[in-house]
Amino acid sequence: MSIQVESLGFHYAPSHGAKQGAGLEGISLDIAPGEFCAVIGPSGCGKSTLLRLIAGFLSPEKGRIRIGGEDMAGVPARRRNLGIVFQNYALFPHMSVLENIAYPLKLRGVPRAERHRRAGEAAERTRLSDLADRLPSQLSGGQQQRVALARALVFAPRALLLDEPLSALDAAHRAAMRDEIRAVQREHGIATLHVTHDQEEALSIADRVAVMRGGRLLQHATPHELYDHPADRFVAGFVGHANLLAAKVTAPDEVSTPVGPLRTAPHGQPLGATLTAMIRPEAVRVLAADAEPDLPNRFAGHVSRDRFLGSLRRFDFSVAAVGKTMGGKTVGGEPIVGETSSREAITAIAIPPAAVHLLTDPSSTS
Amino acid sequence: MPVVTGLYLLYLAAPIVLLAVGSFGGAWTNTLLPTGVTLEWYRQVAADGSFRRAFGVSLWVCCATCLSTAAIGLPLAYAIYSASSRGVKVAARVLYLLPVAAPPLVLGFGFILVFSSDTLPFLGAPWLLVAGHVVLTLPYLMQTLVADMRHLDLATLETAAESLGAGFRPRLFDVVVPSLRSSLASGLIMVAALSIGEFQLSNLIAGFLSRPYPVVLLQAFYGATGFACAGTVVLLALAFLAAFASAAAGGGVRRRRASA
Repeated sequence: MSIQVESLGFHYAPSHGAKQGAGLEGISLDIAPGEFCAVIGPSGCGKSTLLRLIAGFLSPEKGRIRIGGEDMAGVPARRRNLGIVFQNYALFPHMSVLENIAYPLKLRGVPRAERHRRAGEAAERTRLSDLADRLPSQLSGGQQQRVALARALVFAPRALLLDEPLSALDAAHRAAMRDEIRAVQREHGIATLHVTHDQEEALSIADRVAVMRGGRLLQHATPHELYDHPADRFVAGFVGHANLLAAKVTAPDEVSTPVGPLRTAPHGQPLGATLTAMIRPEAVRVLAADAEPDLPNRFAGHVSRDRFLGSLRRFDFSVAAVGKTMGGKTVGGEPIVGETSSREAITAIAIPPAAVHLLTDPSSTS
Repeated sequence: MPVVTGLYLLYLAAPIVLLAVGSFGGAWTNTLLPTGVTLEWYRQVAADGSFRRAFGVSLWVCCATCLSTAAIGLPLAYAIYSASSRGVKVAARVLYLLPVAAPPLVLGFGFILVFSSDTLPFLGAPWLLVAGHVVLTLPYLMQTLVADMRHLDLATLETAAESLGAGFRPRLFDVVVPSLRSSLASGLIMVAALSIGEFQLSNLIAGFLSRPYPVVLLQAFYGATGFACAGTVVLLALAFLAAFASAAAGGGVRRRRASA
């Protein structure tokens, strides 16, 4: 079944403890049956509030929520038939793994033998059969996560809501569980809303990603679209790493920036327009000192900061012509962040014109 | 540090050891230790009608106090934990902790003032003794329950249950009460231990026929030393039993917390 959110508005009461005015404004989102949608954004952007509104734990002031086409206005959380996995899993500490999984079936009046059979099957699918009699306190974080997932899916819910379910796991388990969640979600073919603050997790797991900020939805697109064509400066900076340079249009295929003029693909922007030029670090080419001197957007300079990340190296490149020279070193100026697998010294870089994306929201900061 | 600890433990244990020695000793007059060994004092305590009645009263008051604190404490702790207003939470917390701050003597005088009047002539009634013990012990149960509710993140457990389809009653009886089983048991055993040993308030408000064990025990100190010692050892045994049970239940909660 699908999840449809139309022009949703909600604000917390000042006494709630949340920042006054925090909430949601004009959120519209469609999640098709079987689609996996991740919602990302900085803390306080409203992503968890959106999940709580869809779940029925909060009531919207404006707008509509439809699940499987049915309007959820006035429908309490317990009647929405949604599977929810919570950040801390929220397993019942006094119930065994099997009892936890079987609990939603008990609430639906499924006879004892039948619910134990179905819970046993769900445990088997999530590789929990050997742990069926254990209490949650006797399980690892990953195992508890699988119990929470099995419990949320055992009653064939209309949609699945995941509230930062991987945030309590260490990095190694997080990657494995990410794949496992995706596999289970595909197997059930269920519309899923996954709230996370981890943009890498969102890009790797979701069919589409929604980026939120200050209670508003900035962009809802596929991971590729979001990464390659961010809607604005904030999305560009939030999703992956990006060089964001203030730019002014000087020609149909050129802009001026703090690091110097940059050739772009023909962009159709009016002359004199102020924009933001976005260049992804992996698009920055590392050149040998004297190689290809006529390349457009070729810059000489030096590496002012070098970070070894294992499979690649992320560096800040200070352009020689921009900063001031002090003691033979160039200082100041805006560095260009690049990524390479090369471990050689870097004295020149080039930015392919096609890799310079112009974003039309120069007023936006951060 | 070990020497200081040893001396402190000796200081704590010495009166208890002396009471035990005295309860089994024969004559004990102007000597460091009693002479002879006997079970006579215990036989006399067991044979004394007022002690037997007081023992029964103490057990009865203890059970009634436990039941009442559980019946009042669990919903009250749940209400305080669930209250959305921070002001309500703080006010409730101050109110239920007041009996800890106020000495039992003050509470006792209050009871005498209120319940010895012609309008409310209930001073000496057994149920008033239970009510007094409830006021004194309720804060300890509440503290244990509210702390466990916070630790378990009971609100999220309830939200999870609600999302799975549970209404208020299933949430209460399938999730809230069973989740608090260990802390409820631990808190109640503490209540029992406090109720069994309570003297100050009981001495002021208990009727002649409903005097609990500690109040009657005071009379023993006007008689033979061995008899007083034996009477006190019986009370100590009761208190130790409650403390051990409390520690065992508390250990269960701690083990659960450590592995959670």
